Amino acid sequence: MTSRLKKITSLWITTVLLLFVISIILGITMRFNQAEVIRLSPITFYTDMTVHGLTMIGIWFVAGMAAVNFIMERYVKTSKFVNILALVLTVVGVLMFWASTFIGKFHAGWTFLYPLPFKVMWSAWATPLFLYSLAVLAVGWLIWCISLIAAMLKKYSITQVFAWQYFKKGPKEETPPFILISMITLVGIVTCLITAIVLVVLLFAEYYSKGTFVNDALLMKNLTYFFGHAIANEMLYLGLAVIYEMFAEISGRPKWKTTWYVSLAWNCTLFFILTAFFHHLYMDFVQPEGLQILGQLASYLASLPAAGVTVFSIVVAVYRTKINWTLANLLFFIGVMGWVVGGLGAVIDATISNNFVLHNTLWVPAHFHTYNAMGNVLFSLGFFYWFSVNFSNSRHSEKLSALKLFLLIVGGIGFLAAFYIGGADSIPRRYSNYPAEFVHAKTLALIGGVFASIYLIGILIFFVNITRRCVKILFSQSA
Amino acid sequence: MCKDFILSICIIVCSQSLVYCQSSAGWKEEVNVYNKIYDAPITMVSGKKTSINTLAETKPLIIALVFTRCYGICTPLLLQLKESLPYKHDERKYEVLVVSFDSRDKLKDMQRLRNQLQLNANSNWKFAITDSISRLVASVGFNPVWHEKIKQFEHDALLVGVNSQGYISKKLIGLRSENDLSMMISSINNIFTPTYRLPGKSAMLSCFNYNPVTGKNTPGIGLLLIALPAILSMLVLIVINKLVHRKEEI
Repeated sequence: MTSRLKKITSLWITTVLLLFVISIILGITMRFNQAEVIRLSPITFYTDMTVHGLTMIGIWFVAGMAAVNFIMERYVKTSKFVNILALVLTVVGVLMFWASTFIGKFHAGWTFLYPLPFKVMWSAWATPLFLYSLAVLAVGWLIWCISLIAAMLKKYSITQVFAWQYFKKGPKEETPPFILISMITLVGIVTCLITAIVLVVLLFAEYYSKGTFVNDALLMKNLTYFFGHAIANEMLYLGLAVIYEMFAEISGRPKWKTTWYVSLAWNCTLFFILTAFFHHLYMDFVQPEGLQILGQLASYLASLPAAGVTVFSIVVAVYRTKINWTLANLLFFIGVMGWVVGGLGAVIDATISNNFVLHNTLWVPAHFHTYNAMGNVLFSLGFFYWFSVNFSNSRHSEKLSALKLFLLIVGGIGFLAAFYIGGADSIPRRYSNYPAEFVHAKTLALIGGVFASIYLIGILIFFVNITRRCVKILFSQSA
Repeated sequence: MCKDFILSICIIVCSQSLVYCQSSAGWKEEVNVYNKIYDAPITMVSGKKTSINTLAETKPLIIALVFTRCYGICTPLLLQLKESLPYKHDERKYEVLVVSFDSRDKLKDMQRLRNQLQLNANSNWKFAITDSISRLVASVGFNPVWHEKIKQFEHDALLVGVNSQGYISKKLIGLRSENDLSMMISSINNIFTPTYRLPGKSAMLSCFNYNPVTGKNTPGIGLLLIALPAILSMLVLIVINKLVHRKEEI
């Protein structure tokens, strides 16, 4: 492992954690505004919502990518130049995006659903700047993904990276689970980033045509959720790739191996995760019914194989087994549980008959915050913790571990429960202020905000400890 | 030859302008929709003073913005509205308010217009003037332009649908079909009306093309665009694999 890669990874971790803290604060601010503890103008609320959503998606995607890139170096040689280029383009993209929102007041939400970006209720320059920021991010990340795919294909054949040899008896070559899951995930990410580019090109075409070209709203919504749904799920799989590699290693157990069912599950996931996005269009009456049914089926089939195999592997690994529990593998373990609970919430919402009731209620942020805040974030925090402790050569103490976990779990569960109860009570999401008809909305927002603040305290302790160690790695002579 | 060439150029330019106008009209109809209309004080031809919101509270409104000295679209707009509305629609669900946006129009001008249209006996049609023309037209996104030479306003034929809460729920520009008027009446009564833009020259990327004759959908170019990223990803994978291994062979 080169010291340069460690320094780049430290930089990624520090950047991600800093942006994470800022984004949580924005989220808490929104909940307190809904509770009417503080008062924001609707424009400020929706600006915060746009920044919070897109920044969170972006940082946890790059967090997973940085971790995968770092671990992949164990198997193949990766490009440090592309890693740095991705970092630079991410920072530039985020700065452009923040300028369009915080200065230009662009507030069309992180999904920027067509035709909202053209309903200009902000500075006129903010729309093109927002679209350019997306283009910069998409291009940077696409180059990064392609570079990692190329690195794997240098060593492994197509059959090997997808672990297809396990479908025959007595496979001769081995494919590490990390390589299989990384490949499946990176191909999915490339697909959704290409979708993002198609989407941005179409938006630019309409913007610069001055009315002579008009996009089709249904097509744009399909493309938006193809990109949005896929990237939000694929970034979880990046975290899972890390767990498949690190959980056994940190726990002092033998490394996990690929089997035919692991290979089958992940190959199925590649297809189904890219078609599950149709469940976002259940309310679109012009979408053909066949695609709605496909959306429900794919939602079930995308989640079951990967979740089933992963949970089975984790349970087998810990059941009646002596495990060296550290903060890192505890975070991985709790993260998998959070991912499963959030996944169940997602599948409930993706069932057409339930969606009639839950669509656009607080149930939606409930489930995606579960598998992110209590799933994906913990996957990455586990890696960050392990990385910073292992490579900073500094003494560390586990005495705050219990407190940190306590704050994350209590804060996380309380914050999410307020969302779930609100969803079950049909309280709509994306409301800056709740009308009096939603009797419990303000109280739940207050409870959510208070528990999110407890979660934030836990994250701040992680932030201080991990960042301190990462800065040490960054400035060390030979990391 | 030269004449044909010039004629061809003219046809192309005109057709392009038409395409532009059509597409931009579509967006113009969206301007200020879901905003509250300015609650302009109005004076009815009967002399009664009221305001737009007060009228809308009683019955949702279809507001026609016209001026009585118009040589162009105002009279055809009102005539078509008069002919289209009563036969298909329940008059209890709306009222038509004809408001002048020309400050020269007085009550007697509006009264004359009502007489010309033979609507004196129709209580569902109200004719009025207002002192707050500029605020009213700004609130609905209507921009009449005065031409001094011909003493006329250049303007859209505009109908504005206002629901009982005073929100603009729909706008229609041009002489529109009964179907469009039905949708406007539904929208001002807060009834959901499914609509979908049909593919035209400016919007050719539909996922599915609906044929109103057969009632069937056929796949469109848009569907190809949804499949394109997956196809390109597979191509990227194959190309990288080829490049990487060719490099190794060299």
